[in-house]
Amino acid sequence: MPIGAGYAEAIGHHGELVQGLFEDDGVQMRRALVSLPCRQLRSKVRFTPNSSDQLIVMPASREKAKRAAELTVNAFGRPGTGANLEIDSNIPLSRGMGSSTADVLASILAVLDWLGIEAASHDVMQIAVSAETACDSTLFRQQAVLFAHRDGVVMEAFRRPLPPIDFISIDTTPGATVDTLEFATARYDQLEIESFRPLRGLLRTAIKSADARMLGRVATASARINERFLPKPRLAEIETIGVRFDAIGIQVAHSGTVVGLMFDAMDQKASENIKRATAALKQSGFEPAVFRH
Amino acid sequence: MSTRALMRKLEDFEGPRLVPLGGDLYGASFFLMKLLPARFMLERATERGLLRPGGTVCESSSGTFGLALAMLAVQHGYKLILVSDWALDRHLHRRLIELGAEVTIVDRPALTGGLQQARLDRLQEYLQEASGSFWPSQYYNSDNPLSYGKVAEQFVDRLGKVDCLVGPVGSGGSMSGTSRYLRTLFPDLYAIGVDTPNSVLFGQPSGKLNLSGLGGNILPTNVDHSQFDEVHWLVPAEAFHATHDLHRKHGLFMGPTSGAAYRVAQWWSRNNPGKTVVALFPDEGHRYAETVYDEKWLEKITGWSELPKASPLAVGTPRAPMSGWSRFAWGRRSFDDVLGQAND
Repeated sequence: MPIGAGYAEAIGHHGELVQGLFEDDGVQMRRALVSLPCRQLRSKVRFTPNSSDQLIVMPASREKAKRAAELTVNAFGRPGTGANLEIDSNIPLSRGMGSSTADVLASILAVLDWLGIEAASHDVMQIAVSAETACDSTLFRQQAVLFAHRDGVVMEAFRRPLPPIDFISIDTTPGATVDTLEFATARYDQLEIESFRPLRGLLRTAIKSADARMLGRVATASARINERFLPKPRLAEIETIGVRFDAIGIQVAHSGTVVGLMFDAMDQKASENIKRATAALKQSGFEPAVFRH
Repeated sequence: MSTRALMRKLEDFEGPRLVPLGGDLYGASFFLMKLLPARFMLERATERGLLRPGGTVCESSSGTFGLALAMLAVQHGYKLILVSDWALDRHLHRRLIELGAEVTIVDRPALTGGLQQARLDRLQEYLQEASGSFWPSQYYNSDNPLSYGKVAEQFVDRLGKVDCLVGPVGSGGSMSGTSRYLRTLFPDLYAIGVDTPNSVLFGQPSGKLNLSGLGGNILPTNVDHSQFDEVHWLVPAEAFHATHDLHRKHGLFMGPTSGAAYRVAQWWSRNNPGKTVVALFPDEGHRYAETVYDEKWLEKITGWSELPKASPLAVGTPRAPMSGWSRFAWGRRSFDDVLGQAND
C-alpha cells in the first residue's frame, strides 16, 4: 500500500528570447530556443498514490500531465500505481507561455519526489518530450541553455544564468489562441538560418558578461525574424513605445500571442521607465501587465 | 531534412583570428577567407543537386577563390577546372597544379570587360563541354554573401557590439554579407567598402587595375551597394605601404587588400574613438613575397617613393578622377541612386 505524496512546482515562461534553427556539434540543424522564464507563473502538482490502479488527473483536461506522470511511474516506480494528480496552475493557457510544459514537468518531478529519486535533467526532459512532443528550457534555472525543444536535448549550456530582466507583458490578440503544436513550424529561408549564427554569438556574449542590453538586441532580432511566420499585431507600435522609455528590446512567444517589452532590471531607472511605458501602452489601448525578474 | 554533403574538413581554417590593433580597432585576420564562401557554395550546390559526388567544378579565378576551391576539391574529391590569366602568380600556379586542378591561362582581353570577361567566355566553353559541371560563380552566386553569418557570429561572440566594419570589395560577398548579418543585431553598423581607382564597383570609369583582389572591371551582383555607408579608393602604392605598416607595427604578414582595409579602418577609428571597428584581412602575405614584399618590385610602382597620405580626399562623385586615397559618402544607396543620372 503506497503511502505519502509527492509535490513539485514548475514555472511558466513569457515566450522566448530567441528561437530558431541552429547547427549542433555534429553539424546537424536543430530547432532550438531560450525561454524567458517567469517565476510568478507556476504549476503546482501534488501526486497522491492510492490503492486503486487508476491515475486520475484534475483538472481532467490535463492529459499530457497525466501521461507524463504515468511515464515517470513506469520508468522509475511500479507500473500501474494508482494515484490522484492534482494540478494547480496560474499560467494562462494557449498563449505560448509554457502552461502545458510546466504541468508536465511538475508532474514528473512530483512523482520523483514521491519516489524519493533525483533524476538527471536529461531524463526528465526526455520524458517531457515524449509526453508532449515539445518542451522548453525552464527546467534549467542555474544556467541558461539553448534547448532543442523537439528533441529534448541541450544544444549549448551557457556559462551563467540569464541576466535579470523586468518586462511588460502585452497580449497582442487576447481573443485568439495558438496551439503550440498545431501551429505549423516555421520554414526558415537560408538568410534566416544563417542569421541565427550571429544571434547565437551575441547570446553567448550577453550571458557571459551579464549584459541585458545585448540580450535585448538578440531577442528583438529573433522577434523580427518570427514576424514572417506568426506576426504579432501592432508590434511596431509597442516597439516605438519601448524606444521612448529606454526598453532594451522586445521578445515574443514564437508560438503564442504575447509580446514582452524588456527592461534591464539592474538599471536604476528601470522602475520609472516601466511605469511610464505602461501608462503609454494603456493610452494606446493595450492591456499591459508588469513582471519583475 | 535536405540532403547535403558536408565539406567541413578544412572548417578550422575558415574563420578569422581577431587581433587588437590599438584603441578599439581589431583586425580579422584570415588564413584564406575564401575557404568559407567556397565551402558554403559547394555544400549548397550538392543540396540542390547541382554538384554530385566526384563531379567537376569550373571557375574563373586568378586568386584566392581558386586556391580555396582547389583545397576543397582535394579534400572532398571533386575535379576542378580553373580559368585564369597572366596575373596568376607562378607559385600559386604551381600550387594549384599540385592540388590537381586543371589551370587554363587566357591571354587576350575581350573587347569589353577586359581579361575578366575573356576568362568568363572561356569558362562558358568548359561548362558546355563538361556536362554536369558546376560553376560556383562567386560574383553572382547569392550563396557567397549568405555564407558570412559564421564570421558575424565570431565577431559578436568575441567583441559584443560592432560599430564599424571595414573591408576590401572584390566579389562583394564578404562585406555585403557580413554587414547584413551584423545589422540584424546592430542596425546602426557603419560599413566602409575599400575599392581602387579604375574599378567599376562603385562607379569609377573602367581602366587598368594593378591591385589583385581589389575592385574589378565587371560589376558583380554580389556587391549590395545599399549596405555601404562610405566608400574609399586607394591606389596600389598606398595599399602596399599600409600592408608593410601592418606587418611592421603589428606583426601581421598579410596581402595587399588587407593593407588597404587597415589604412582606412585605422583612419576611421582615430576619428571615432570609443567605437569598435573591425577590419577584414582576407589573406596572408606569402603569395606576395615577390611583389608587395619585394623592394625591387615596389620601386617600379607609381608613387611608391612618395610619402603616403595621412587622410583621404573627399570627392563629390565616385566618377571623379582619383590620383590617390579618396572617399565618398555612399549613404547606403543603390548604385543607380548614386550614379543613375551620371549614366544618362
